[in-house]
Amino acid sequence: MRSLLLAVLAAYVVSAIHAVLAFLNKRRALQRVSEWAMGAGFALHTAALIADWAIDGHYPLFYPRETLSFLAWTLVAAYALVLYRYGARPLGAVTMPLVSLLTFIAVIIRPATSDRAEASSLAASWLFPVHTTLLLFAYGAFFVVFLASIMYLLQERELKLKTFSAIFHRLPSLTMVNEIATSSAAIGLTLLTVGIATGMVWASSRDGRLWHNDPKEIFAALTWLLYLLLILYRSSASWRGSKAAWMGVAGFALVLLTFFGARLMGGYHVFG
Amino acid sequence: MSIVLIGINHKSAPVEVRELLAFSESACSEGLRTLVDGDVVREGLIVSTCNRVEVLAETAAERLGDTLERVNHFLTRTDSVPRSFFESHVYQHTDDEAVRHLFRVTSSLDSMVVGEPQVLGQVRRAYSIALEAGTAGRILNRLVHHAFRVAKRVRTETGIGANAVSISYMAVELGKKIFNSLEGHTALLIGAGEMAELSARHLVKAGVSRVLLANRTAERAQNLAGELGGETIQFDELPRHLAEADIIICSTAAEEYVITEQMARESLARRRNRPSFFIDISVPRNIDPAVGKIANVFVFDIDDLESVISSNIREREREAERAELIVESEIMQFQQTLRVLDIGPTIGALRNKLQGIARSELTRQRNRLGPLTAEQEAAIEALLVSTVNKISHPLLSHMRRSSDSSDAEAIQAWRDIFGLEE
Repeated sequence: MRSLLLAVLAAYVVSAIHAVLAFLNKRRALQRVSEWAMGAGFALHTAALIADWAIDGHYPLFYPRETLSFLAWTLVAAYALVLYRYGARPLGAVTMPLVSLLTFIAVIIRPATSDRAEASSLAASWLFPVHTTLLLFAYGAFFVVFLASIMYLLQERELKLKTFSAIFHRLPSLTMVNEIATSSAAIGLTLLTVGIATGMVWASSRDGRLWHNDPKEIFAALTWLLYLLLILYRSSASWRGSKAAWMGVAGFALVLLTFFGARLMGGYHVFG
Repeated sequence: MSIVLIGINHKSAPVEVRELLAFSESACSEGLRTLVDGDVVREGLIVSTCNRVEVLAETAAERLGDTLERVNHFLTRTDSVPRSFFESHVYQHTDDEAVRHLFRVTSSLDSMVVGEPQVLGQVRRAYSIALEAGTAGRILNRLVHHAFRVAKRVRTETGIGANAVSISYMAVELGKKIFNSLEGHTALLIGAGEMAELSARHLVKAGVSRVLLANRTAERAQNLAGELGGETIQFDELPRHLAEADIIICSTAAEEYVITEQMARESLARRRNRPSFFIDISVPRNIDPAVGKIANVFVFDIDDLESVISSNIREREREAERAELIVESEIMQFQQTLRVLDIGPTIGALRNKLQGIARSELTRQRNRLGPLTAEQEAAIEALLVSTVNKISHPLLSHMRRSSDSSDAEAIQAWRDIFGLEE
C-alpha cells in the first residue's frame, strides 16, 4: 500500500509545514490547516495500516518499515490527544515534522521480502499485536513527556534568567507543560507495564521463559524503573519542576536506546 | 475630491501646545459644525486625545488650498490661539498621505507606546461624535471603517500588541506564563503603593480570585481591600500567610528585606513545592535576592521588569515594520474604493473623450462643408455637443448609480470599455 502511504506522507508534510508556520507566525488559520491535514493524514494512515494487515496477512508491526509507519501513527494519536485535552498547539511544530520524517523513511525503505513465513509464524499469536501496540503507544506517551519536559526546562531557564527569547511567548505555560508531562508519564508507564507483561506471557507460552537477558528487555526494564521513579517522585509533592523534567528527558533517551539501540545489539527480539 | 489631515501629536508638539489645541467632546461636535460648511469642507472629523489633536477633512480637489487654510484657521479657534504658537508643530497631509496617517494612528503605529490598544477606541469615539454632528459623510464613513479594518488586521496578523510593556501588565502576563490561568489563584500585596495597586487591579481583572493585603498603615490597606474585595492581614502575620499566595507583589519603603530566604523556603515547603511568583517593585529591594535562587520560586525585581519591558518594546517595533506593510497594501485598496466613490473624474474623462471624438470628426469633415458663417459653425458644434451629451446621459447616470451603490466592478468595466486610463 505504498501509494496510500505516499498520500499519508503528503498530508503529514502539509500539516508539519503549517504547524511550524503557525508556531512562528501565530496565525490561527495556519493552525487550522495543519489540524485538518493531520486529521486527513491520520484517517488515511489508519486505512493504510488496516489494508497492510489484510493484504500481508500479519499485524503491520513486524518489519522496520512497518514499525516506523506505526510509530508515526501513534505519535499523531498522542499529539491529537494532547491537543484535544490541553490545546497545546506548539507541540505540533515538533511532532508533525518528526512524524513526516518517520513516514518518509517508512516510504523509502524497500519492503522486506525475506522470510515471510517467519513473520506469519511469529505474528500468529494474538499476543503479538497487543504486546507491540501497547509498547509503541507507551513510546508515544514518553515522547510527549519528553517534549513537555524540554518546554518546561526552556521556560524555567528563561524565567530564572529573566531574558525571554522569541519562542518563550509561544510556548504553553509552565503549569500546562508540567501537567502534560505528569499525566503522559502516568499513561506511558501503564501502557509500558501492560506491554511488558503481555510480552512475558507471550514469551513463556513460546519457550517457557519469562526473561531472556535480551538487550531490549534489559533496557525496557531500566526504562520502566526510571518512569516508575519519576512518577513516585512527582507524586511526593504537588510540583516537581526541573528535576522531574530532566528525568523526563533522560527517560526518553532510554526509550530511544530500547527502541533503536537494542536492535543493533541483536538478541531475542527480532523486530524493530 | 481630496482628503486633508492636519494636526499635532506627541512627537511634533510639546504638551503645552497640545493642551491648548485639544478639544473636549462637546467642543468637538460644536467645532465640527462650524468647520464643515458643506462648501469648502464637505466632511470632517476631530480626533483629540492627550497625545494628539488631528482634524480630518474632505473637500473637492479644486478647493484643497481653501480647505488647508480653513482648517488651519479653525485650529486657531477664531484667532484666540496665535497661529505662530503651533505653526511649526503642525503636520499637513493630503490624500494618500492623509489616509496613511489615519491608518497608522488607528493601528497604534503612531502611538507613544506602539501597539497600545486605547487609540482605536479614541478614534471610534471621535467618529461617533462626527456621526452625531452629521459631519461624517460617505467618504469619511468609508475611510474610517477602512481604518478600523486595518487596525484589526494589524492586531491579529502581527504581534504589535502582544507582550506587556508596563509593569502592571507584566505581573499578569508572567503570572499566566507560570500558572496558565490566574483563576483560583491568590495574590498578596505587601505595601500598597500606586504601582502595586494598579498591578492588583489588573490581576483581579485577569481572574485572580483572592487578594490579601498587608500594609503598615492599616487604613490604606482596608480602603484598597474594600475596593478590590480583598482581605487585610497584619504585617507580622506575613510568614503565616505567605504560603497561601501564588503571586506576591512587594512595594514597601522598608530598608530591610521583608521576604527572607528562610521565609520563602518555609512557604515553598508548605505549598508542597507549588511555584510562587514574586514581584519586587521597591527600592531598596524588599525581597532577598537569594530567594530567586530557590527552585520553583521566580523573583522579578524592578530592573528585571524594566529590562523585559524594553525588550518587549523592541519586539513590538520589529512587529510594527510588518504592520507598515499591511498599511501600505490597505492604502492601495482604499484608493480603489475612492475611485468608485469619487466618480467625478471618471465622468469628466468620459465626457472629454466623447466630445474629443466629435470635435476631431468635425475637423476631418470640415473641408467638405465649404464656407460657413460663424453662426452656422456654432450651430454645427452645438449639434455635436448636444448629440454626444444626449447619447451619453443615460450612461453617465448609470455610472453615478453604480458609484452610489459602490459597484466597483461596473465602474471599472465602464473605464475599460472606453479606454479611460488612470
